Amino acid sequence: MSKTNHLSGKEVRAIAKENKKIIKKLEAYKNRKAPESEYLTEMKDDSNILEIDDLHTYFFTEQGVVKAVNGVSFNIPKHATVGVVGESGCGKSVTSMSVMRLIQGPAGQIYSGSIRFNAKEADGTEKVYDVAKMPMRDIHKIRGNQIAMIFQEPMTSLNPVFTIGQQLDEVTFINNPKATKETAKARSIEMLNLVGIAIPERVYNSFPHELSGGMRQRVMISMALAADPRLIIADEPTTALDVTIQAQILDLLRDLKEKIDGSIMLITHDLGIIAEMADYVVVMYAGRVIEQGTVQEIFHNPMHPYTIGLQKSKPTLDSDSDTLFNIPGNVPNPINMPNYCYFRERCSSCTKKCAGEYPGMIQVSPTHYVACHLYGEEQNNG
Amino acid sequence: MAEEQKNVTPASDNLLEVHNLRKCFPLKKTITGKVTRELIAVDDVSFSLKAGETLGIVGESGCGKTTLGRAILKLHQPTSGRIFFEGQDITDYTSSQMREIRKKMQIIFQDPYSSLPPRSTVGGILSEPVEVHNIVPKDQVKEYVLDLMDKCGLRSYYYERYPHEFSGGQRQRICIARALSVNPKLVICDEPVSALDVSIQAQIINLLKRLQQEMDLTYVFISHDLSVVKFISDKIGVMYLGSMVEFGTKEDIFANPLHPYTQALFSAIPYPDPDVKMNRIILSGDIPSPANPPKGCRFHTRCPHAKEICKEVTPEYKDYGNGHCAACHLLNE
Repeated sequence: MSKTNHLSGKEVRAIAKENKKIIKKLEAYKNRKAPESEYLTEMKDDSNILEIDDLHTYFFTEQGVVKAVNGVSFNIPKHATVGVVGESGCGKSVTSMSVMRLIQGPAGQIYSGSIRFNAKEADGTEKVYDVAKMPMRDIHKIRGNQIAMIFQEPMTSLNPVFTIGQQLDEVTFINNPKATKETAKARSIEMLNLVGIAIPERVYNSFPHELSGGMRQRVMISMALAADPRLIIADEPTTALDVTIQAQILDLLRDLKEKIDGSIMLITHDLGIIAEMADYVVVMYAGRVIEQGTVQEIFHNPMHPYTIGLQKSKPTLDSDSDTLFNIPGNVPNPINMPNYCYFRERCSSCTKKCAGEYPGMIQVSPTHYVACHLYGEEQNNG
Repeated sequence: MAEEQKNVTPASDNLLEVHNLRKCFPLKKTITGKVTRELIAVDDVSFSLKAGETLGIVGESGCGKTTLGRAILKLHQPTSGRIFFEGQDITDYTSSQMREIRKKMQIIFQDPYSSLPPRSTVGGILSEPVEVHNIVPKDQVKEYVLDLMDKCGLRSYYYERYPHEFSGGQRQRICIARALSVNPKLVICDEPVSALDVSIQAQIINLLKRLQQEMDLTYVFISHDLSVVKFISDKIGVMYLGSMVEFGTKEDIFANPLHPYTQALFSAIPYPDPDVKMNRIILSGDIPSPANPPKGCRFHTRCPHAKEICKEVTPEYKDYGNGHCAACHLLNE
């Protein structure tokens, strides 16, 4: 239903020409050779493992620029679980892909912003990299070994032509080139044991298609853990699984976090999972962070009308009302986003001020931030 | 056995009655066509539903809930068992006889992206069933369709548009409007909201509820999401590996779940409140393959209370008062 569906050939060509120029510049920047000093930086706060600062990730399409991530900033403290919640298309996956530098080029590009990651070198010293500025040839310094990712679909993210063992050993070989076959196998089996697989030797020799969905997700988790990462990004780790299997996997993730002493960035659309797993919550809507805070603040004192609506619209097992609260309308078209608050058309408590420019982040408490005009005034008056 | 089933008579006030329904899919055939191995997708399921009620069917993937829904509509021919719709035994109806009945029973599919024809307009999609079944005279079809679209929350100018122009929630509204275009009595909703976002889910559920009151519909609501099922249903059936393990009214099932699987299923749902710490029953292991189900009680491989008898004998599906049925050996002690 977008208005941009009917572009003339001339317009499309103009957009394509414009895109090509920008993409060429960004691709050259991505593929450049650069000394390490160019992307070394400092953390703003040393207690964080990851700081995302005003990140913009755009997709340059024929219909125009899709600003999938449009100025996202949040931090992941050490040893904490940060839950990122939002509906489909809100940019939560693109944010995580940007951190891993897995955005599919040439159409998708990190346009601006910085992602500061506190990496631990083999000799124990800490170095801070700006992931967004790293050239692709150096990305192996952190991807997979410092930051690991668990994908949504365990069915498609394992290679069907290799055994689980071969795929797990590969992780060890890459991280430790001196490893022998025996040590790699021992490590892989240890990892499979860690994620609660009962007969690791058998799974080690089986192919992905021989395993069930829950087992595959366990294998994915063990693969992520094999390199002792400092940060695990779990992108909807249980969405493709059944409820009883989901309970198992969440239980496992919670256990593992204590064992590996790392941080988790948990991306999901299920508020129940967030409440159970996360310490901090980031709520995203249409490519922006609209509210963030500790899990207590978000669930007991939600402030943004979207967060409130999201919580009310999910039926719970002990609600008894007759109709569900619903947020009217749809998520706006990602091309040509308005410059007022993106939630304005669907918001029930919108005021005159909402027609103005996009609201900035307002600090409500030391950890609680919200981007809404409703609260700006109170702050100014008080 | 088959003779016995044919003599089953339905109670007069039930819109839908299912007796010992069973659906098997052949896995292996000999050269002569004899089935040597089969997958029992739905095994011996019985229930009844009154007009205006909603039956929620929950279960995990592969438990046969979709097959059950389709078998009721006879999109799959049941292997054995009887289906009564409005007192008529429709099990052995031919496809031309079914065509008449289909006016009264419709289905809404899970995926609104693949269940709409991409090359017809919304108007075309919605008027086709109306014309085929002669619901209204030809000259009133458009008026009727526009009225229906309005009921389902679709604006009238969508009439000329194509499905690809709509978002998931709008498409699901089109699917609902299509199902309702023939004025059905029974609608099978096969996971109608699981492909949608939370805020859109709420819109669709409210729409379904409102339409039920307005048009006096009976729903069979299939879902894996217990909280949605609880919200919309009057009666709930819990399925595991093809068989119904528990059936009862919503109040009974939630206040007093009898079967250990139901209890585990309820406790597995993440609760959206960080301060509530649930006493979670975590089931070990995976769901066994339905092609090779365990002997005895099918749940015994994962059941925390399994006993010797569970491994050998299939538990009987019994009424434990007030229509609250369950199949478990532990309840007989």
